[in-house]
Amino acid sequence: MTRKPAIAFTVIGGFLGSGKTSLLNHLLSHSDTQRQGRLYAMVNDFGALNIDAELIAAQNGNQIALSNGCVCCSIGDDFTRALFALLQEDPLPAHIIVEASGVADPARIAAFAAVDKQLRLNGVVTLVDATAYQTHAHDPQLADNYDRQIEAADLLLLSKIDLVGRAELDALHAGLEKRRPDVPRLEVSHGAAPLDLILGLEGTMPAARPLDSHNLETSAVHLHGPIDRDALAARLSTLQPHLIRAKGVLTDRRGAYVIHFAAGRVTLEEFDATPHGHFVIIGKAGIPNAGQLRALLQDLLEQKGKE
Amino acid sequence: MTIIYQAKSIRTMNPHKPQATHIAVRDGHILAVGTKDDIDIWQSAWGEMQLNTDFAERTLLPGFVEGHSHMMEGLFWNYHYVGYYDREGPDGTIWPGLKSIDAVIARLKEIEAARSDKSENIIAWGFDPIFFTDRRMNIADLDSVTTEAPVIVMHASLHILNANNFVMQAAGVSESDNSEFIRRDDNGKICGEFLGQMGMFMAMRTTNLDFLAMGSSPQTLVNFANVARQTGVTTATDLANPMPAGTEDPMLEQVNQDSYPMRLVIAYQGTSGTPEEGVARMQELAKRQSDKLRFSLVKLIADGSIQGFSARLKWPGYFNGAPNGLWYIEPERLRSYLNAFTAAGIQVHVHTNGDECTHVVLDAIEEALRAHPWPDHRHTLQHCQMASRSDFRRMRNMGVGVNLFTNHLYYWGDAHRSVTMGPERADRLDDCGGALAESVPLAIHSDAPVTALAPLFTAWCAVNRRSSSGVTLGGEAEKISVEQALYAITMGGAYSLKMDGEIGSLEVGKRADMAILADDPIEVGAEGLKDIGVVGTMVGGLVHLNKARA
Repeated sequence: MTRKPAIAFTVIGGFLGSGKTSLLNHLLSHSDTQRQGRLYAMVNDFGALNIDAELIAAQNGNQIALSNGCVCCSIGDDFTRALFALLQEDPLPAHIIVEASGVADPARIAAFAAVDKQLRLNGVVTLVDATAYQTHAHDPQLADNYDRQIEAADLLLLSKIDLVGRAELDALHAGLEKRRPDVPRLEVSHGAAPLDLILGLEGTMPAARPLDSHNLETSAVHLHGPIDRDALAARLSTLQPHLIRAKGVLTDRRGAYVIHFAAGRVTLEEFDATPHGHFVIIGKAGIPNAGQLRALLQDLLEQKGKE
Repeated sequence: MTIIYQAKSIRTMNPHKPQATHIAVRDGHILAVGTKDDIDIWQSAWGEMQLNTDFAERTLLPGFVEGHSHMMEGLFWNYHYVGYYDREGPDGTIWPGLKSIDAVIARLKEIEAARSDKSENIIAWGFDPIFFTDRRMNIADLDSVTTEAPVIVMHASLHILNANNFVMQAAGVSESDNSEFIRRDDNGKICGEFLGQMGMFMAMRTTNLDFLAMGSSPQTLVNFANVARQTGVTTATDLANPMPAGTEDPMLEQVNQDSYPMRLVIAYQGTSGTPEEGVARMQELAKRQSDKLRFSLVKLIADGSIQGFSARLKWPGYFNGAPNGLWYIEPERLRSYLNAFTAAGIQVHVHTNGDECTHVVLDAIEEALRAHPWPDHRHTLQHCQMASRSDFRRMRNMGVGVNLFTNHLYYWGDAHRSVTMGPERADRLDDCGGALAESVPLAIHSDAPVTALAPLFTAWCAVNRRSSSGVTLGGEAEKISVEQALYAITMGGAYSLKMDGEIGSLEVGKRADMAILADDPIEVGAEGLKDIGVVGTMVGGLVHLNKARA
């Protein structure tokens, strides 16, 4: 039986002006379709996206096709119907990124992935505008929206950092650390966040590209031999909050499988082809290096051997 | 040719001549209204006219104007009605109300037994659990209909649906899934109720059918008008429609036909594009309007619903402690849309339910009007259910009208008292008396298909303020008289659509749009208002009789 690969589903939350559009623009223009598959961005307003004209291959109605294979489509007034329509596309998208409105609860959008088995939640990324969070957090009409966006986040991106002083930025970090100590935070400028971090590690090979400028680390190993998926899932969960993402294509006694770690959750899928036997992680300083990662996996291998 | 219709009573809603017995109709318009003697004066000047006594025992009112309904009402009749009350389908078939969950299941089993393709979806609508306090519909109920195909029962509120196990399996929902959109029973088991957009999404994915896509098909348009005709409505609204390019052509073709028994006002869904795109589209649509089909206003949605806990409330918030609702649009974007449409001279109706939302919307309208003064804008707040007297005074001062959702008093009045807002705020829910006392132009509505399209019932709710359990919400200050309620469902609606110069009352020069009733609502009085039979309608002088009640 051939199983359709689950479509990765990412929600980008944050207030108007928090940099959602810059982030989307960055992802769309730097996305590598070979590596990450066809990326579909669902946005509120094409105009605001201001995509480089050279990148636009075709535009019809509520979709803009980019020359790199990515597609940008308008949500319009009904997200449910827009998503339904998108899931009728042939071929299907590999990854759907939703730009939540400034007052949406990103968790409610993420919930679509929870009840649709064709979608795999890749995470909620909430942008926090370093210049405006104080205003939002204390606006009686918007404060609860701000709270919900922070609560829903699997990754917090601090934007417009070049417009505030270090002291203010530190205060923002401290406040967020208090509220969501379990969630990684990164500072970004003009939406330039590392793609692997936002989009996941789709197609990433052990020769993972070096990550710089964001205090992130990545480790990758090749290995063969069976590793029990449930044991690995349990082990990955203990690597939080340093671990942000992980992906592996491995085997155990039940067969080949793909394991994802994203948004604090482990997802397992059956894998039809012969596994490459690779495993990659990405996270903040403190995640296992390549040697430690190999040891960790071999540990699980031995445990399985003793069963 | 001029036809004089003789009636038992004509209630004109024209204060110059509130009551009459004869009305002369010529070229689709009203030539004269009055007594036999009044009409004879016209006959002596304009020549012999034909007397029609078909309605000599009937009462004529201006055709009812439903200022907040949705064309989806017509769409739903493509599916199976399983509501509590008798409801007349567009073809005149009376679907008896189903008084128990077992009766609903029995109806679904009949549908299952009658169909040839057992893999087809069974989709039903109008189910209202408010009437079944002993238990809730569950998965086993719907599995007893069939396990071989999706069975989906949409609730009347449209916020919840029930599904069978087939749907859950196809969607991949399992007991381990935790979501606020998946309701669980007292034992923590998934009970088969799915909430909000999520429920609708699941149902669409499983049936592979976009239920709402056929929203403006010719059949839907016809169904909608036929349901309207049965309830005396001669002008209804679709609030709102995104109106993609070209969609107006088939609509015009359908609605402009003489046999189409209704005028239709379509509100453009304001946020379908940018404010600039919206203004351009409205200017384009304005040129396409006809006598029967109008594209004259824009709708914006600012918050959610009270019973869905998605409305934005002021302190102290929800009675049961639920967190505050969601803005459906950023207040900042709401201001930019209101500003752009106001600047372009385009009327806007804004959906607002919670009192915090009403406040923010009034602020936004005030800002737009300060920038672009416009004495007769008639921007209107739709639903606006929690408005206080101070909100009404602001509306009056700014020239903002209100269209209150009085059917809520009956359908959700009990829930509002005990769950959503507690007694005091529920007592002033949809405060028609308050709106009129503060001189705010008032209309009342059904929001069909959320509640049944039936202006006499909507008027009954405004007059009696009685919930489904029989509790009266508020007192005399919040109630309005039968006369005021009848005015609200005729002139009130017409005024909100800026059509009060051509419809809404029966007077010389206006369009010959009438509701033909079995009894005189003024004589019947408050209690029996909702039960008055509707014989048919007249639209532009053409009579459209109801098969079932003629």
